[in-house]
Amino acid sequence: MTEAANTTVTRTRARRKFSAKELVIEYAVLLLLAVVLVALAILSPSFFTFGNIVNILNQNAPLVIIAAAGTFVIISGNFDLSTGAIYSVAGVVAAWLAVTTGNVALALGAAPVIGIVLGAFNGTVITRLRVHSFLATLASSMIFTTIAVLITGGSLITVTTPGFTALGRNRVGGVFIAVLVMIVVVAILWFVLSRTLFGRRVYAVGGNAEAAELSGIHVDRTRILVFVISGLAAGTAAAIGVSRIASGQPLAGAGLELSAIAAVILGGTSIYGGIGAVWRSVAGVFLIALIGNGFDLLNLNPQLKDMVTGFIILAAVGLAAAGRGKR
Amino acid sequence: MTHLPRIIAGAGVLALGVSLAACSADGGGAGDGDGFSIVFLASSSQNGYNQAVYEGVQNKAKELEKELGISITTKIQDGQFDANTQLSQLQNAGTTGQASGVIVVPQDGPGLAAAFPLGNDIPVVSVLNPIGPDIDKMEPQTEGVVSTVASPPSAGAERQAETVVDYCKDIDPCKIGLLAGLLNSPLDVARIAAWKDVLGAHDNIEIVGTVEGAYDRDKSLTAVSNLLQANKDINGILSNADQQTMGAQIALENAGIDPSSIFLTGGGGTTEAVKAVREGKWTNDYLNYPVSMGEAALEQLINKLRGEKVEAVVDADTLVDLPSMVTKEDLDAAPDFTGEWNG
Repeated sequence: MTEAANTTVTRTRARRKFSAKELVIEYAVLLLLAVVLVALAILSPSFFTFGNIVNILNQNAPLVIIAAAGTFVIISGNFDLSTGAIYSVAGVVAAWLAVTTGNVALALGAAPVIGIVLGAFNGTVITRLRVHSFLATLASSMIFTTIAVLITGGSLITVTTPGFTALGRNRVGGVFIAVLVMIVVVAILWFVLSRTLFGRRVYAVGGNAEAAELSGIHVDRTRILVFVISGLAAGTAAAIGVSRIASGQPLAGAGLELSAIAAVILGGTSIYGGIGAVWRSVAGVFLIALIGNGFDLLNLNPQLKDMVTGFIILAAVGLAAAGRGKR
Repeated sequence: MTHLPRIIAGAGVLALGVSLAACSADGGGAGDGDGFSIVFLASSSQNGYNQAVYEGVQNKAKELEKELGISITTKIQDGQFDANTQLSQLQNAGTTGQASGVIVVPQDGPGLAAAFPLGNDIPVVSVLNPIGPDIDKMEPQTEGVVSTVASPPSAGAERQAETVVDYCKDIDPCKIGLLAGLLNSPLDVARIAAWKDVLGAHDNIEIVGTVEGAYDRDKSLTAVSNLLQANKDINGILSNADQQTMGAQIALENAGIDPSSIFLTGGGGTTEAVKAVREGKWTNDYLNYPVSMGEAALEQLINKLRGEKVEAVVDADTLVDLPSMVTKEDLDAAPDFTGEWNG
């Protein structure tokens, strides 16, 4: 890695001394998360229970996995609008394989593989055709969704194969297997992004692609790899999702890509690339999730949920933007 | 020359897309000879319910072709669950002169009324929801709509809620969770209002929460899981859609609650719902017959086009010889019934 790339990485990773105000801005998402947590703990006796916490973690495991990988994509200066569609394709293929072969391992194992293939397709199209990732993945999401619809005929594939629901529904020591998978995936992605050379390249490409290229970084290869990671994550999330509901649905992932991007941005990862972290996206997912959980626990008017979520997203993103403006 | 590989790659992608589309094209033209060309406007062509309605349209078209010796071609258009897209499609069908008639599953019945009067005077049959401002009025509200194959959503919701009242008659308090479709949809708002009207008249029934299922298993699983955290002693879940009830069932099982030990209902009559009621996991289900509704819609449309008598309202609840709210006992008496769709 050469000097220019190192400069970018140093800028993003250097330990700085923060004033109290800067600290609040830097960790806005955690602060908001803490506020919501405390408020819910006070307002609902059912909130701070082992069952509910496990419940929240389990519900959001697929989204956390997609958002954590999506952090790579956004830090690299790209967008992946196809994760929902990859989730759908991988899910229906897994369901179809389970029904036709009866082999649960093959069926659920196929989902991440499909994610890798479709992610590689995205990365290749973006780098070879020089199409902006926003447009390329918007187009590929349409293609992937159609594939999912063609596989199922628009209906759903119900899976009754024994053992198929274990990944999505079974527990180990009271904790859902899906939660354990989520923790492992997030730990790996955190390590790769923050502790490896590849992670530094992702920051460098997103910070200044031209400088990164001149520094000897294979920008295209890095871009392809972040889309492969994103696809792999969507496929893994699909395996959990399809196992949980025991059916492959062609539109199961609809909207998931936007939820993941919202969580990444809400966490404080820069939409312009070059700045961000996996933990931020995880915090972003759970901040939105807690609002939903709180509304249901407190039996609040659910029609107000989106408005409250919108205000909290604006608050977090506004604080993060204010922080960046100061640097 | 450096752009050549990109141009070739781009052209390749385009060619692939066009080839795939061409392979799947049915090649059917509209309105050939003395026959009728029918356009089916699905709220989404990628949705199992809409496909089942279209299956019924196609089945009836084949049947009537043989019976009447005429040609009936059908074509489906995808509304993409978008009211504006469907509005444009209806306007286009009414102006191009290629459609003899239209069958539509409205995404937004009140909004779709804006398409009338159509450019050409062609008949329209509405399925599932009426077209016009009153979503509970099945008689055609808009000139150009000749028949509605549906049942009033509020009436169906009231019937569902009455089965809750019956279940709760010896339970006090009887804690019920409401699992609604889309809280911003006029149709579902009307259903929730009807549920609350019926349940609110009984002091022993306590509504412990109203959550959104969005016609999705996973979202319903999440919503009901949350609801159960604060209400582990729940007595029942009232849902308007089978997909949602399936999600609720998983949430109950995850929470260690036997679904058959509480009141559980859905709406739609999917094959899975029928199976769940037969097995005693659900208390009952509000049946729907999308294939039969599609058949009835085409029949009325062809009647209109041939100048014959048209039924302005076909009650969708009466298309199959079963009660609309079906229990295990009802299904035991109809062992061959499996449901008309899965979604």
